[in-house]
Amino acid sequence: MSPVRALVLTGFGLNCDYETAHAFTVAGAVPERVHLNSLVEGEQSLQDFQIFVIGGGFSWGDDHGAGVIMAMRLKHRLKDDILRFVEKGGLVLGICNGFQVLVNLGLLPGFEPRTMKREVALINNDCGGFRDQWVHLAANGRSPCVFTRGIDTLELPVRHGEGKFFAEPEVLQRLERQQQVILRYALPGGTPAQGEFPHNPNGSVADIAGVCDPTGRVAGLMPHPEAFNHWTNHPDWTALKETARREGKELPEEGDGIRLFRNAVAYFQ
Amino acid sequence: MVARLEITLKSHLFDAEGASLCRKIRDYFGWDPGAVRVIHVLTLDTDLTQAELEAVRREIFTNPVTQVSSFQPMGRDFSWAIWVGFRPGVRDTAGSVAIEAIADYLGRPPGAHEAAYTSKIYLFSGAELEQGQVEILARELLANDIIQQWRIYSRSQWDETQGIGLIVPKVRLAHTPAVAEIPIPSDEALMALSQERNLALNPQDVPVIRSYFGRPEVLDARRSAGLSAPTDVELEAISQARSDHCNHNTFRGKFHYRDLATGEETIVDNLFKTCIEAPTLTIQKQKDWVVSVLWDNAGVARFDENHNYAITGETHNSPSNMEAYGGSLTGIVGIYRDIMGTGKGARLVAGLYGYCVGPRDYAGPLRPRLHPRRLLDGIVEGVRDGGNKHGVPTPFGNLFFHPSYLGKCLVFVASLGIMPREVLGEPSDQKRPRPGDCIIMSGGRVGKDGIHGVTASSEIYSENTPAGHVQIGDPYTQKKMHDFLLEARDEGLVTFITDNGGGGLSSSVGESAQFAGGAVVELDEVPLKYEGLDVWEIWISESQERMTVAVDPKHLDRFLELSRRHEVESTVIGHYTGSGKLHLSYSGKTCAQLDLSFFSEAFPQWEFDAHWTPPEARGLLEPVLSEPRDHAKLLHTLLARPNLSSREWIQRQYDHEVQGGSAVKFLVGRERDVPNDAVVLRPLLDSPRGLAVSQTLNPTYSLIDAYPMVAASIDEAVRRLLAVGAFLDEIGGVDNFCWPSIQYDAVQNPDGRYKAALLVRANWALRDMCLAYGIPLLSGKDSMYVDGHLPGAFEETHKVSGLPTMQFTATGVVPQVSRCLTLEPKVAGDLVYVLGSTGNELGGSEYYDLMGEVGLNVPTVEPRGSLKLYKALEGAISGGLLASCHGIYRGGLAVHAAMAAFASSFGMTLDLQHVPQKECAAGRLRDDQLLFSETCGRFLVTVSPACREAFEARFQGLPCARVGEVTQDPRLVIRGQKGDILVEESLASLKRSWKQGNPATE
Repeated sequence: MSPVRALVLTGFGLNCDYETAHAFTVAGAVPERVHLNSLVEGEQSLQDFQIFVIGGGFSWGDDHGAGVIMAMRLKHRLKDDILRFVEKGGLVLGICNGFQVLVNLGLLPGFEPRTMKREVALINNDCGGFRDQWVHLAANGRSPCVFTRGIDTLELPVRHGEGKFFAEPEVLQRLERQQQVILRYALPGGTPAQGEFPHNPNGSVADIAGVCDPTGRVAGLMPHPEAFNHWTNHPDWTALKETARREGKELPEEGDGIRLFRNAVAYFQ
Repeated sequence: MVARLEITLKSHLFDAEGASLCRKIRDYFGWDPGAVRVIHVLTLDTDLTQAELEAVRREIFTNPVTQVSSFQPMGRDFSWAIWVGFRPGVRDTAGSVAIEAIADYLGRPPGAHEAAYTSKIYLFSGAELEQGQVEILARELLANDIIQQWRIYSRSQWDETQGIGLIVPKVRLAHTPAVAEIPIPSDEALMALSQERNLALNPQDVPVIRSYFGRPEVLDARRSAGLSAPTDVELEAISQARSDHCNHNTFRGKFHYRDLATGEETIVDNLFKTCIEAPTLTIQKQKDWVVSVLWDNAGVARFDENHNYAITGETHNSPSNMEAYGGSLTGIVGIYRDIMGTGKGARLVAGLYGYCVGPRDYAGPLRPRLHPRRLLDGIVEGVRDGGNKHGVPTPFGNLFFHPSYLGKCLVFVASLGIMPREVLGEPSDQKRPRPGDCIIMSGGRVGKDGIHGVTASSEIYSENTPAGHVQIGDPYTQKKMHDFLLEARDEGLVTFITDNGGGGLSSSVGESAQFAGGAVVELDEVPLKYEGLDVWEIWISESQERMTVAVDPKHLDRFLELSRRHEVESTVIGHYTGSGKLHLSYSGKTCAQLDLSFFSEAFPQWEFDAHWTPPEARGLLEPVLSEPRDHAKLLHTLLARPNLSSREWIQRQYDHEVQGGSAVKFLVGRERDVPNDAVVLRPLLDSPRGLAVSQTLNPTYSLIDAYPMVAASIDEAVRRLLAVGAFLDEIGGVDNFCWPSIQYDAVQNPDGRYKAALLVRANWALRDMCLAYGIPLLSGKDSMYVDGHLPGAFEETHKVSGLPTMQFTATGVVPQVSRCLTLEPKVAGDLVYVLGSTGNELGGSEYYDLMGEVGLNVPTVEPRGSLKLYKALEGAISGGLLASCHGIYRGGLAVHAAMAAFASSFGMTLDLQHVPQKECAAGRLRDDQLLFSETCGRFLVTVSPACREAFEARFQGLPCARVGEVTQDPRLVIRGQKGDILVEESLASLKRSWKQGNPATE
């Protein structure tokens, strides 16, 4: 079986590229960190990869709206390339800043193919600023999303100042109807947070933490699955370890966030 | 053409920015501001056509889902409007990003004269604010007049067709750059020149400088280069090189130390050499993991077989004191550049912070430039943006309030990096520019920023301090440069690299020229932000986000190609030589020529009198306090005090998990909100190894003596690392001193000699502790002149000197992060132990401070005894015998037991009868002393009953006692030595006191 290749975008203030690449390695893919200008100048081609990831960071400092300028550059320099990649069956994942880029690019929610229309937005957190905390997430089992297959609940960190998901009611209804919501902020038991801070850390409407396009192959989320790559990333691991030890058990070394990356790799195998 | 684009949220959307401003107004001033909505203004000074303007408005700057925008004024329904924009020449990253985006969209590069400026309009409605209140909001909350300008409009003054008008803060300098030759006929003339030009020359240096320029061979050489009298470029360069900030003249000075109680005199020749360098070199010989110390931008130590880590720390006090946000932001991105410029370059893996400010609720008569509450918020936000936007986690930090910091705040910043041990077969920690190598300036451009920043921080802050040295860092530009330079390093293109910080090119090129043996720089090649800078300004400007790199000419093309790929500006500005000279030219004409040997001339050592009066002789006493009866109330009150209460509000704003290697976080426990002793990072994701980091400071102990202040801080740092599972043998340290002026002056600094003695004693402690614990000082820095002159109620000024303070940063390598511990008890039924004996050591403690006392019995460190205990603890943790481990620090046993317990979901019992005690005059310590003493060398640990025997066996003969139990019942129950119950409080209520900073009442 030929290896699954994942392109992790770098440059212009994106970060999280090392750990995103690492997560793909753990999941069995062959990742490569590629600078945006290498794609623009044709030195590397998106078409040589199966997975395209835009990860976290502050592209262009996030001035003028998080992800806006990166989206504009992608749209003007790589639009056809990206559309071809998606239509050919590639997977696209936007994490945090990458999610902001995908919604500004109009690849999400992508109601109508190729139109690249901006229909949803990620705006300033209601709490008024940047926040780093872990959240409970409930996945939508009926979503076509490739990345969240088989996932019921999940804990991941969020780290953003502009992560409030916003859409007008008709857009929201369509997202719900088409099962395009993939993850929601939840209470520890897994029921939706219903806007309750800090469980819903940013005031996202309908507790939406992530969405996909109608095909389920393009997805974006604010939480960081790559930051839960190892069990010691979890804030409670020392307590979980001690409890498990007393029961004579061991904890799995891999962090739960890797499951999204495994799903992506499995899709091609 | 100038156009003003206004952008705002659609009216039915919640304006989070406006709402958080309202919260701040209520918090700062107690006023009801009604509602605030924000308009973002982008003023475009460009050649765009109407159609192009409309296109960029729609396509780039307006989100169709959430925003509306217009080239017409958008302010309508409001009672007051405040416009806030930058002053000319202040770094406006969002403005330059806008130009980049427009150029990208239009597909043509921007013209040199095209610029964009961002500003904001705040619209207030729904509350009756007076004009005076609105002015206060503008001046004391929204804008800082050093970097910003503002305008206020009432609804009736507002012109709906013009709005704020077109405000273009463009720098216009009608000045033709020139080089001046300045004769220095006498020492007095040079001193007068120093005053006039703000060169901050030390009078002792003046004859040395003059004698150099008068030497026949120097005159000859200068004549052949077309020079006679020193030029302004040369004098400014010398001023930079000789500044205390760059040269550490104080630490290298000679101290005449006299103990006034005994009459004993000692000469201390060079604190740096005797107390920092000597012990570190001794320890380096014993520890092969110490790779590179005492010369580079940061120290380098081994992380694993194939990687090293780099660490350094410094302060950014003076700029932060004037412009909190810009100052701390510039500070954190500046310390990052030190790591980027260590060896051939390291990748950033963490940033750390330490803030010392005046009381947040200060309501006294003194008027600092920025009220501590505003100052702290600004500092916190500056480090937030610097770290978060750089993609560097900020996992740990300190906060300390004390009125003495009203004079000048302290902003400590530190950072860590990781580097491969070798780059293409050569050690990555070594670098040396060779004659012939190109000198390249990468990153930002040069403007008038920060000129005389170095000399200003070598002076006491006064109303005349030039404000121009305040800058705003740009993490976006620097992050691009960081990524670029690491690629260049890995391709072997970098022979030498260093950052442009204090002193700008004059320091970076000046110092690297020493390694190569000479340098030639053409200053007209240096890219400028705007025209009109004088030549000397180009040479010493501290414009941020710049690195100086030496590149072999054969690698130049590749280096510049990579630079273009990353859209980072890199310019060849000269080359290194072997001429022994620093040669600068402008427009083909020599403007400076200095022998490199000049910088190592025999400049006279600075000298200080240091007079020590022991605390008893200064009249310090133990207070006469009776044993309190309400211990519960006391504990609530202590937990709520600003120096002990929760700082979650700071840490949550900092991305502490980016890079994916967070293993032990700062905030831990069941509700993930209690600060752990130390944090642990996993900088290499495919390795189980971790790097434990902690920082400590205990400035109030300086009120008694600076020796224990330093000793206790180092002991605390060691314990903090041990508590998470690091090993004693591999602990590295970074010392950052912040001290008031120690130069005696009968009028201006009457206690200068005493402060000098404190500095000597602090350094002795540093030396003694490092040798005792085997800690090499991987890096460190000193910042003097922590004094301010604050206006009072009657138009007088008061000198306020900061407490002598040293922050200590310690690192330790952990072979397996999965064996690390956190502070909170894990399982009910576990046994609680106290390790280490408690003494009657409450001097300088939080408890005494609450009582309005200082006391005399400051905690002392007994390294020999402690080390035995620490070794036993290290073994017990390695053996997996502990469930939790927490050091006992400021606040004492009761405070730290409460914190450990309320971090868990369990309760805890403590029986003071069993707590190990040191011998004391009264026979036994009182209960309050046991509860609140800050004796060093102690821990509170929990152990599973199954491990009890093995655990106790390891501590045979050591001060270790079982003092209680982890209980299912979530209360803290403390029994006194007579068996009476002193505290029986629900942990939820104790936690509430601690979190809210307000003692809870049940």
